[in-house]
Amino acid sequence: MDLKDKYAVVGVGYTPQGKVPERTSVSFHQEAVANAIQDAGLKKEDIDGLISYRHFPPCPGEPNLTPQTISQYLGLTPSYASQDAN
Amino acid sequence: MLEAGICKYVVITYGHSALWGGGMYQMLLQLTGNEAAFGHFGAVGGYALAAMRGMHEFSTGPETWKHIAMGQRKWANLNPAAMMHKKAMSEEDYYNAPMVVEPLRLFDNCLINDGGRAIIITTAERARDLKQPPVLIAGMGHHNPSNEIGQAKYMAGPTGAKKAGEAAFQMAGIGVGDVDACQIYDCFTYTVELTMQDYGFFGRGEGEDWFKGGTIEPGGRMPLNTSGGQLSEAYYMGLTPMSEAVMQLRGQCGDRQLGPKTNTKEPEIILCSDNGGILQSNACYIFRKG
Repeated sequence: MDLKDKYAVVGVGYTPQGKVPERTSVSFHQEAVANAIQDAGLKKEDIDGLISYRHFPPCPGEPNLTPQTISQYLGLTPSYASQDAN
Repeated sequence: MLEAGICKYVVITYGHSALWGGGMYQMLLQLTGNEAAFGHFGAVGGYALAAMRGMHEFSTGPETWKHIAMGQRKWANLNPAAMMHKKAMSEEDYYNAPMVVEPLRLFDNCLINDGGRAIIITTAERARDLKQPPVLIAGMGHHNPSNEIGQAKYMAGPTGAKKAGEAAFQMAGIGVGDVDACQIYDCFTYTVELTMQDYGFFGRGEGEDWFKGGTIEPGGRMPLNTSGGQLSEAYYMGLTPMSEAVMQLRGQCGDRQLGPKTNTKEPEIILCSDNGGILQSNACYIFRKG
């Protein structure tokens, strides 16, 4: 299986960074993903796969951020959702 | 998932209220096990142990790591979004910073920050019709030595980077000489050195010679962590390196753009790494301009 040059990165999403008060972790997922979709020129409905980065314990007072929870907050219904990415 | 046709557009996302929300503290507590009884807790302790082992087994130490910390800071000084954008770092600053866990000083450690980052991946074919210039994944490789640091025999390398790098280079059909710039996962300066050593950019213990003289800085022959990296821009695990590689290949990096603006080679191929646990996993990605 040769994957060379078969796939491409087409969108990048940024958020404010540093000490950003009054923000939840999931709000950063939302903003980063929304910006990546816009950067790529796609629509939210186009996204059918979600991989969230490797798992951290939740911040105090926050829900456990599984890929399903993140999808829910993003309003996405991916065919595939996982927690992976090394 | 893309290969199997199950998905068309996959988003990879990271978000963490690590600083204001106290998230990183929770993560570091989770890393703390029975070894805490012997004074080893959090992530710095594990990497400090590995760095000390590196110093014992081959020629390395702050004389090498200062070049990484200061070089990346010079890139951050060109990146208005970087947390350390306005803070210059001299050699004196590096050495005078407090030791966090010996032998790692403050500026050998990555930043803790709130924020998020995401990238979207699709097929090269679909990418051609989209808004941005496509950046292709030419090669990738993964390797997971997996053992906790207490049982690890790879503290001074070879880490997972050895096999991950070989697999990525093989897929891409290129060698280290073809790489124009690197974006390397940099939880600590030592991680950068060890990863680059295991990828084959220099021989074991030759890091000090390789890094000195501004190799990785603006104007250098192998620009590395050109956003400032996790040491001086912000921490998003593997997405700090990967997003920067993509933006550099798209030519959208402003004052820090590789090419004439920073007196460096205009990049066609950028190598990225990610690393998990205490050197327990490594991923190598080679991106090229589409």
